[in-house]
Amino acid sequence: MASTSLVLPQVTPRKKSIWQRFWRSDWYLHVIMILALLVTFIPIIWMISTSFKDRVGFAEAPASLIPANPTLVNYRYMLTAVENLPVYMRNSFILAIGTAVVQVFVASLAGYAFARMQFRGKNLILGMLIISIFIPRSGGLMALYELMSFLHLRNSLFGLILLFAAHVPVPIFIMRQAFLSIPKEIEEAAILDGASWFRVYRQIALPLALGGMVIVATLAFITAWSDYLVTFTMIDLDSQMTISVGIQKVLASSYQSALTVQFRGALTGETADAAMLLTATLPVVIFYALLQRWFMRGLTEGAVKL
Amino acid sequence: MAFRGRKTSRHGGERNNSWAYLFLAPALGLYLLFSVWPIFRGAAMAFTDYRFIYPDTRWDFNGLANYREMWNDPDFWNAVRVTIRFTFYVLPFTVIISFILAVVISRVRRLAGLYRWMIYLPVILPVAVTYLMFGELFNTKFGLINTVLRDFGMRRPPNWLNDVDYALRAISIADIWRGVGFPTLLFLIGLYSIGNDLYEAAAVDGASGWQQLRSITLPLLKPVFALVLLLSLSSIPMTVDPMLILTGGGPRDTTMSLGLYSYKTAFQLGDLRLGYASAMNLVLGLSSAIIALLVFRSLRGDLESSGPKRRPWRRAAAASADQ
Repeated sequence: MASTSLVLPQVTPRKKSIWQRFWRSDWYLHVIMILALLVTFIPIIWMISTSFKDRVGFAEAPASLIPANPTLVNYRYMLTAVENLPVYMRNSFILAIGTAVVQVFVASLAGYAFARMQFRGKNLILGMLIISIFIPRSGGLMALYELMSFLHLRNSLFGLILLFAAHVPVPIFIMRQAFLSIPKEIEEAAILDGASWFRVYRQIALPLALGGMVIVATLAFITAWSDYLVTFTMIDLDSQMTISVGIQKVLASSYQSALTVQFRGALTGETADAAMLLTATLPVVIFYALLQRWFMRGLTEGAVKL
Repeated sequence: MAFRGRKTSRHGGERNNSWAYLFLAPALGLYLLFSVWPIFRGAAMAFTDYRFIYPDTRWDFNGLANYREMWNDPDFWNAVRVTIRFTFYVLPFTVIISFILAVVISRVRRLAGLYRWMIYLPVILPVAVTYLMFGELFNTKFGLINTVLRDFGMRRPPNWLNDVDYALRAISIADIWRGVGFPTLLFLIGLYSIGNDLYEAAAVDGASGWQQLRSITLPLLKPVFALVLLLSLSSIPMTVDPMLILTGGGPRDTTMSLGLYSYKTAFQLGDLRLGYASAMNLVLGLSSAIIALLVFRSLRGDLESSGPKRRPWRRAAAASADQ
């Protein structure tokens, strides 16, 4: 097994002592992992802890990872005093869900064509899509800005949805893979019975490819929700802004006056910021939890291979 | 189509299936419009003096004037230096840390799935949230880092993001924190595809863990190293977000990377010079692509003679899901 490969094989057949078993186990690997995870998670834990501190608690022990007197005052402030937050959150949900829906739709159609149909240029198109994954995209932002202005899609969530949904290569591969893993006898029978391709796709294939759709939708949701640069470039109207960009505007630490009279003595900019940053993060983390199974098994079973 | 029998016309074996193009149309339409067109338009724009506030200048081709201007632009050369420093800060750490993490995760018997999930978490957090969080961590007075440093007796801990010497390093730390998860995933896919047989054979022959790492893991993983370097070299020099969010290029332009300089030229400064900015992006993109390809080829070239049959890089390439 994996761990025996790290130590010399034991020749003597006598029973192992506790000490030997200790050395032969993979405990030191877990120690390395725990150190790495500490570095990864201490900033996040610190944010969570800060968001439950009030002014006094933060001033006394800004670094403590467990608040002495936990309070919800920051969240109360966030929910009552920060005007734009609900609008930003709503826009983020519209953007992320819209992107997921559009992307699942277009990628499952295309993935189905690649998985089941024969047509001229199939391998050529597929090859171009693969190559294009590796072309760095950031250079196109200026041209994208011109295009979106020209189409009157700047400052429009709808335009942004189309823009994010257009990252199709990887979703198409995931959907193609999902369709390829379904036995095709049922579909062939339906086609021989005279069902149209679209009906076969919608009524037989799509329900069976649910796993692939969930992965595509989740990745799309996370990408759209978490993006900064493209959204920042395309949206400047408050009414269309998403939380991932607007969060910078609603943070209180830079301008103390953002704290209303009611809250000024109770909390500080830092604690209020922590609460808002966490709120902006929560939805993606929940959706990311949906991907857990894919991370647990898919990786080793080759669900990601072409 | 109308003249053919229904059964044959709709059967999968047909070469020219118009249904297929119908199915492909929405995806390819979006893709051509929003992903392919900007590549070509961007390349064309790099040879114009397009200023966004003067729409007439859209197709004002000016030959190589942008590149002559760049050559004489001290801000451009400063940005080049910042970009090179940033790449040297970020790239080695990202690759080494992610490789170690991947080896460890591939060797543990339990909890591997949980570790994979947790290590990848920083990648999916909203970009702005991550960097703003680091902004608070690096806060001079109340930030976690300086509070701890003071607790350990340091009298005047650095003023991280406002200090000429530390700003770029602080940004690099934040970027490494965010960037490690993805290469770890690629390395893991490579490691899993090596399989256990070789290691078991080596263990029977009495090879130690270190020997196995050197003579099995590293050579077989070379293609994944090449892929990781290729992807990192084409993304790290383009970094814009952390500088834009945390420092805006300051203090005294020490964090003004080339990506940020061209971004500001295009969208925030003066006439919104999309043409000049595209030209800088073209230079940046081409030079990092050339370096990346050289690295990729030299690593791949070594391998052709004794290469593995299973080609872990192919699977890893397919998994470059949401970079």
